[in-house]
Amino acid sequence: MWLPLLGLILGLGLGLLTDIQIPTVYENYLSIAVLAALDTIFGGIRANLQQVYDDKVFLSGFFFNIALAAGLAFLGVHLGVDLYLAAIFAFGVRLFQNIAVIRRILITKWEERHIKKDENTV
Amino acid sequence: MNKKIVTRITIVSFIVGLMIAVQYNTVQNPTTRDTRDIWAIRQELSEEKKRHSELLSEIGTYNDLIKEYENNEKEQQANLLENTVEELNEQVGLTSVTGPGVILKISPALELINSGYSVENISPDLLIRLVNEIYHYNGLYVEIDGQRLTHTSAIRDINGETTVNSVPIRNTNVEIKVITDSYEKAEKLYGYLFASTFKDDFYLDNLNLSISKAQSEITIAPYDGKLPNQYLVEDNKGE
Repeated sequence: MWLPLLGLILGLGLGLLTDIQIPTVYENYLSIAVLAALDTIFGGIRANLQQVYDDKVFLSGFFFNIALAAGLAFLGVHLGVDLYLAAIFAFGVRLFQNIAVIRRILITKWEERHIKKDENTV
Repeated sequence: MNKKIVTRITIVSFIVGLMIAVQYNTVQNPTTRDTRDIWAIRQELSEEKKRHSELLSEIGTYNDLIKEYENNEKEQQANLLENTVEELNEQVGLTSVTGPGVILKISPALELINSGYSVENISPDLLIRLVNEIYHYNGLYVEIDGQRLTHTSAIRDINGETTVNSVPIRNTNVEIKVITDSYEKAEKLYGYLFASTFKDDFYLDNLNLSISKAQSEITIAPYDGKLPNQYLVEDNKGE
């Protein structure tokens, strides 16, 4: 469970220390890509907890979502419609749902463990 | 959790972290493009060079002063201190100064007055701008209508009257004396003021600005008020 967190911190540290910057024009795309990636991660964790995790779905989802989001934003810029809002909305909602499901599963697990402990002591 | 899954999620979260960091970097410090050309850079460099040499000479003077303090006997040290005090007094404006400089005269524009325009006060904004420009072009000591300018002097409008050091300018003909370091600098100041738009600016207020050629000796009177020193005082409020 701690390994993904470590990876996140490692990535953050590396990015901040190397001071990489992208051109301001692509800032929007990256922000949406970050959202898509976060959504994928939480989706993966949820799937794993629900024991429906599939490698192919996870990895393809990661890259496909990022590409789709960036593509939507790109299309939006060229059509003059803020299509990236659609991506933000979709990913935002899914992010919340995924986190809610993870929370519920974790609570259930914790309660089960608690009950087991109680039974053992009695 | 399956080991394989954990590795996958770790790799992906690493990428996510990297992306977030890059995004953070981009948002926090946007790269500003340097649009100066060689000429602009050269000019900036020459300005910095000037400042550099000024600072170096200043450091030199203070080093000399320190050496003098260290080398001399006690009696002489007292003399030195007195000298320093005198110098500081001169800098602040408590002694009269004589030196090369320029005299400016502001008077009502007669041809306008004759045709019915009223005599107007010298606007404090214009006067402040003039004084700033004078200081910018190596004016050392300035006196306006007999009032010596010090570091705390205020030129401002009080009840419709333009005042310097809180003393209103009552004369219609005002004399501004400026002392510079050397005669050459006085000439330069004259040249600059002569070429500037100040004459036109004053003419807008129905005033004539005449600038005398650089003179080798001008005397400026000392500041006659008191310069209050405000030392740090303990604040007992919190007790």
